Amino acid sequence: MAVQAQALRPPHADPAGPLAALAPAQAPGSALLAMGICKRYSGRRVLDDVSLSVAPGEAVAIIGENGAGKSTLMRICAGLIQPDAGQVSVSGRVGYCPQEPGLFDLLSADEHLAMFAPALGLSRKQAIHEGHLLLSEFAFPFAQRAQCRHLSGGSRQKLNLALALLGGAHVLLLDEPYQGFDHGAYVSFWEHVARWKDGGIGVVVVTHLLADQDLVDRVVELTIATEPLCEAP
Amino acid sequence: MSVRRIFVTAKMTGLELGRRRIAIGLLTALPLAFYGGSVGRGSGAVITGGVAMAFSISGASIFVALTARPVDPRLILAGYHPTELLLGRLLLLEVFGVAVSGLFSVIMVFGSTPNHPWALAAGVGLVALTSVPFGLVVGGLSPHELEGVLVLIGVVGVQLTLFSTQLAAKFLPFWGGQRLLDHSVNTVAVGAAVPADIAYAAVLFAIATYVMRRQAPSVGGARRHFARAGLAGGQGFEPR
Repeated sequence: MAVQAQALRPPHADPAGPLAALAPAQAPGSALLAMGICKRYSGRRVLDDVSLSVAPGEAVAIIGENGAGKSTLMRICAGLIQPDAGQVSVSGRVGYCPQEPGLFDLLSADEHLAMFAPALGLSRKQAIHEGHLLLSEFAFPFAQRAQCRHLSGGSRQKLNLALALLGGAHVLLLDEPYQGFDHGAYVSFWEHVARWKDGGIGVVVVTHLLADQDLVDRVVELTIATEPLCEAP
Repeated sequence: MSVRRIFVTAKMTGLELGRRRIAIGLLTALPLAFYGGSVGRGSGAVITGGVAMAFSISGASIFVALTARPVDPRLILAGYHPTELLLGRLLLLEVFGVAVSGLFSVIMVFGSTPNHPWALAAGVGLVALTSVPFGLVVGGLSPHELEGVLVLIGVVGVQLTLFSTQLAAKFLPFWGGQRLLDHSVNTVAVGAAVPADIAYAAVLFAIATYVMRRQAPSVGGARRHFARAGLAGGQGFEPR
């Protein structure tokens, strides 16, 4: 089973080819540009000549069935893994929110913020202040002051998202970022997406929810290919 | 390289390790049990207890490396250099090693009255020195804690079964410390124990750095690519 190439389309439009997908954001100043991305795991093609572009202030949803390579594409765009072929260019800092919260179980939210602070050029105080502002907008349970292992799945995900947003970013790569969110936090998340767009941030959201596809500017669908486009490395 | 980032990593590692009280308590009790169990059987107790201390410090290092693995890519993406993370952990774990080895030295000096107490303390110190990078390497390569701990038990176990004068013992990472411990209670020459141990620790740290960098995100290469493309302030990357 292999993924051929993405189809990129506005909401409720017919799928378009991969080259059409590139057209809107190939203009100078595109926030994210990935071209000809190929990735194999143990000989199995996961991504085959996939291209993706996101303009500043644009929100793009990535959809596709399980195993289509949505998370792999996000990890490649974030720079966490190398593609076998293809290129990615990102203008500015990337904020990446992984599907599985990568957190230290025995550290609290404040300690996570303090840990990320020096990497982002923030003082401990600045990072905790900024992190609290972000977390409070998603109703994070500060009163608990708990270690992450004692937080609910939704609260862990809120911290996961806040760490991606901390310090500001030019491109946000959010891999199913609201898993476990309650309704209020979910609504708040999409209000934030609109705000980030207004601020010129390019936003990519991996989602399975059909309702979300009305809230973005474009939808990219990763589909299963029958004919390989990438040469075997 | 940022000193602040190294110290913040060390501090957070210390907080995390400090909250594993039961695991650390058990790990520290393990070599004490080895020593206590063999103290009535002559000079070998010092060697057994001293080398078994690698269980404590390497075990803690394995836990640290494994718990950090899912978070490290994000930290590196945010701006940490892999070496900063590794140095921060090394710093904290070596401090932990000095504390544990100091405690063990005192217990064994009073419990076994060795011929050369300084050699006993130095031997235990060398075991601690090598244990940290050894644990970081094993933790960096093991898929889970179980596999890492089994490798640790295997290596330390084999070292315990060999005499320090045997050739095979020299190929194991704790030989230098074992030889000094042997010297502290027997008439065995020290030989190249100290430089061998330091070399082992250095090589293990180099391997740990290599493993960490291999597992790190490609952000460094990304920046280079973007610079080549003449696009400042961003990142891009292509296959290695």
